[in-house]
Amino acid sequence: MIKFLLSYVKRYKRDAIWATVTIAIAAITSLWQPKLLQQVVQAIADDNLSKMYPLGIQLIVVALIGLIAGALNTIFATKVGMGTAADLRADEYQHVQQFSFANIERFSSGSLVVRMTNDIQQVQTIVMVFFQSLLRVPILFIGALGLALMTLPRLWWVILVMIVLVVGITMMVMQPMGKLFGKFQGLLDKTNGMAKENLQGVRVVKSFNQEGNEEKRFNAASGELTDINIKIGYLFSILMPAFMLVGEMAIAVSILFVGQHIMADPQMLGALTSFVNYLMQIMNAIVMAGFMSMFAARGFESTRRIKEVLDTDPELTFNPEAPAQNLSGDVTFDHVSFTYPGDEVPVLKDISFDVKQGEMIGIVGATGSGKSTLAELIPRLYDPTEGKVAVGHVDLKQVNEGSLRRAVAFVQQKAILFSGKISDNLRQGKADATYSDMQSAAQTAQAAEFIERYPDTYDHVVEERSANFSGGQKQRLSITRGVIGDPKVLILDDSTSALDARSEKLVQQALSEQFVDTTKFVISEKISSVINADRIFVMADGQLIATGTHAELLASSPVYREIYDTQKAQEVID
Amino acid sequence: MASLWHAMKFFARYFKHYKLGLAIIVIFTLLATYFQVKAPVYMGNAVQEIANYMMLKANAKTAAQASMTQVYHAIWMFVLFILLMGVGLLINSVMQALISSKAVDDMRTGLFGKLQRMTVKYFDSHRDGEILSRFTSDLDNIFNAMNEAIFQLFSQIAILVGILVMMFTQNVALAWVTIAATPITVLIAVLVIRQAQHYVNLQQEEVGHLNGYINEQINGEKVIITNGLQADSVAGFTEHNEKVRQATYHGQVWSGILNPLMMGMSLVNTAIVIFFGGYLALNGSLDRATALGLIVTFVNFSQQYYQPISQITSTYNMLQLAVTGARRLDEVFDQPDEVNPKNGVKFDGLQQQVLLDDVHFSYNPGNEILHGITIEANKGQMVALVGPTGSGKTTVMNLLNRFYDVDSGAVKFDGIDVRDMDLQSLRDHVGIVLQDSVIFTGTIRYNITFGRPDATDDEIIAAAKQANIHDFIMSLPQQYDTEVTDENSVFSTGQKQLLSIARTIITNPDLLILDEATSNVDTVTEAKIQRAMDNVIAGRTSFVIAHRLKTILNADKIVVLKNGQIIEVGTHQELLAADGFYAELYRNQMVFD
Repeated sequence: MIKFLLSYVKRYKRDAIWATVTIAIAAITSLWQPKLLQQVVQAIADDNLSKMYPLGIQLIVVALIGLIAGALNTIFATKVGMGTAADLRADEYQHVQQFSFANIERFSSGSLVVRMTNDIQQVQTIVMVFFQSLLRVPILFIGALGLALMTLPRLWWVILVMIVLVVGITMMVMQPMGKLFGKFQGLLDKTNGMAKENLQGVRVVKSFNQEGNEEKRFNAASGELTDINIKIGYLFSILMPAFMLVGEMAIAVSILFVGQHIMADPQMLGALTSFVNYLMQIMNAIVMAGFMSMFAARGFESTRRIKEVLDTDPELTFNPEAPAQNLSGDVTFDHVSFTYPGDEVPVLKDISFDVKQGEMIGIVGATGSGKSTLAELIPRLYDPTEGKVAVGHVDLKQVNEGSLRRAVAFVQQKAILFSGKISDNLRQGKADATYSDMQSAAQTAQAAEFIERYPDTYDHVVEERSANFSGGQKQRLSITRGVIGDPKVLILDDSTSALDARSEKLVQQALSEQFVDTTKFVISEKISSVINADRIFVMADGQLIATGTHAELLASSPVYREIYDTQKAQEVID
Repeated sequence: MASLWHAMKFFARYFKHYKLGLAIIVIFTLLATYFQVKAPVYMGNAVQEIANYMMLKANAKTAAQASMTQVYHAIWMFVLFILLMGVGLLINSVMQALISSKAVDDMRTGLFGKLQRMTVKYFDSHRDGEILSRFTSDLDNIFNAMNEAIFQLFSQIAILVGILVMMFTQNVALAWVTIAATPITVLIAVLVIRQAQHYVNLQQEEVGHLNGYINEQINGEKVIITNGLQADSVAGFTEHNEKVRQATYHGQVWSGILNPLMMGMSLVNTAIVIFFGGYLALNGSLDRATALGLIVTFVNFSQQYYQPISQITSTYNMLQLAVTGARRLDEVFDQPDEVNPKNGVKFDGLQQQVLLDDVHFSYNPGNEILHGITIEANKGQMVALVGPTGSGKTTVMNLLNRFYDVDSGAVKFDGIDVRDMDLQSLRDHVGIVLQDSVIFTGTIRYNITFGRPDATDDEIIAAAKQANIHDFIMSLPQQYDTEVTDENSVFSTGQKQLLSIARTIITNPDLLILDEATSNVDTVTEAKIQRAMDNVIAGRTSFVIAHRLKTILNADKIVVLKNGQIIEVGTHQELLAADGFYAELYRNQMVFD
């Protein structure tokens, strides 16, 4: 883990070295100060004016050096921390962009986002803290310990007892603290989760008159959280007074000892003040180390999570040697079976078919029958577990990535748009799309009528979460993006579900008139969407159980017949 | 300044329940401060007495008078004072932990209770995340500030005052020297904090943009992959990442520089004190032993004096976040509650009819959604509402359950205006099934009995059977005790709706409002939902907001809404015969050979 972080920190070697040097200087100055103080006191005791003034000036100079070193350290430590974080984030992002869809689903997109935002933030913090404080701890500890021993060697046992006590207290408190923090986080998530649910379900809570009960439940959870909170607070309450007591008692014991042996060694009196100071610094160093270790634990957890992403190989890679070519719209499935990575039950079982360029294929079947999975194999979002998928008679495992992307357009049910302009989104389907390209694609997708009502038409803004469009508008924009590149194969995965029946019909009409040479796969719950297809594939339980036109299937497939029966007009039955 | 005053009133409101605890904190803060400030004096005394002892002892004439009694006395006093200080600090921080945890608990539960009483309008007009951030970030900020800044602020000020008093009683000249550099220190601190705030805000903004970008891109990764846009995505990322790199530098440097700066100033100040103290010892009127003791004491004072100053400056950000948090919590607390009429008519069941009488309604003034709607539903009738998105169907539901009040006209149950009814008794008799089903974290049993926590097992099973979900629940290993959340995938979308139907059935409402799910469910589940709906509708008065016309073919009355007006009313057959909007809709939706 440290090695991994170090490989990034190395890129900022010079800043890291400067940060180390400056923090060492700052630490040394704060060690030097009590030494100087002792000398000043000695000078006063010796009535030595000529020695005292230079020493005073020296003290101020040392303080200023400490200040400047501290400030410079902040600058260098920041450079290392944010540089490391930015590089790490860039590497992580680039790596994720090479992921196949299976990788992303395995991590879940939410988790990937957290790993690139919060976790990186954590790493930035520990790197900065490391170069700002962590190095100070050993320098202060060893330095103060050495100096204290040099100043009053006879008091070595005071130092030892103090160290043992402070370390003991820290360990005793930190351990239950860690456990309590874990519990605390869990309970906090629980109460916040309850609040969130109540916001989402406000209508249910109100209409069932459950405000009182929900409040009781929430108060109970909040009470539990508060109890833990108080316990943590109590533990902390012990910590500071205990440290103070240990430190101050060490001082008292030292003074007592010095008083009793002063006649044997009069020099001890002058040394006492700086000794006291070193004692305090030793204690601070230990306490700091305790808090740092809590910090570091969090930072390392984040580092581990980032590393996990970077160590994951893309599950699917395109052959970089594959020559670019123009693929035709023929699609072939040859004994294709597919199981989602990590699952045991196959989602697709031994599916074979040949589709000729220009055909329109409808795919129907119940939820979970494998319709969408089948579609996702065509743009090679996944590789089949067994069998072969080919587009334009090229096995997808050997295909050139750019050629496949140009040939196949995939429109999902959940229309995803990116913030920016409408034109930015449409150009995702064709990088060099002109205004008239957009116009004709939008006409096909029945999007032109609303886009062209905006004064800025295709430059109209798409807000975050595309909040300024209705569900139907989003789907129409998404279809526009799908058709703008004039694909050889167009897959519409339930992508007209939010369109009203009239618009849907117009889209289908336009597609069959203007995209004669394009192979069209239309996946739908609705028979009306696929009724005019050249062939309809009926899926059930991962199998392709029937193929044919609407009329043929009505006659031959009971499954198709059943789906149809639930959707046909009453007047037809009567 | 106004916000500071507001924040003080806010905290006073919560602290007033803990008067005794606060009194203890005040007393022990003062005591601990006193001991903390006074202890170094005894330490100085002890050193001084040792020096005296040594001088007496060294001189043969006075050697006999030399005694360690004074030394022991000073050390004894020092130990006593630090023990008392330790006890004071302990009591103090225990009380603080108790009060801050309890006060935040009061805030959290108060906030939740307030949310339960507020109008639906508030929730409709504010984003969930925005409201939720009160629970997450604002309460967190307030708690952190209480733990690490607010009480400390009080004790820091007390320490500051205590040290000032001590210093001036010990030696006026040295006291002035010790505080001489304070104005410069404060000025520097203020300047640095301002810069830091400015740049940290810029940094947060850039980080926000970057995180937004990452979130959007990763969630849209399917689009990126299928269009081969990975390189573009990385290019866009790099642009944001570089901006963050730039912004982070200034923000972190300015906020990070404060600490070394304050530490440095403290050191410089200590040096000045030693320097001047030495000068006094050599040239002043004080004898050497006294001067020596004074220097030791003032070196301590100087460091102690700078501690509260640097503490307060370093917690400044935290305090500001708490002030903001207090304001944002009060924004919620100041919202109006739902109106429940005093002595409202207790509604105990529908006898004759539900009537929407010439209802005009707008969510926002000047933007009327319903323009004079009149709908009559007799007891036992099923009324279906049909119309395009935005026609006002869902709004009608909002009015029947009194989530909103009409602008003019009235909603009446058996002739009684809902605004004159006891709110709880109204909602007891009105059941709703929402378009998007809500699942609460807990067991399936908890979710079904949500509206009637005292329901028996037999009743639960009967409701689940009617809702066509019993068999599925029994197939789960934990059956009715299975833990569910809105996110885990125990239930499909369709099954969630079945569960919420069961939840409504168990309360046995007189009037039922069903908002049909628009999300895609497969035909098998759809048929199940259809049967469950038929079960629940049977024998009840119901309003069904339909998206699939198939659901409502048997309705007693179909009301077609468009742009907030009723354009057609009738049964399915009548409306088909009329060959209007409904007939067109029907022909487009259904499959004909």
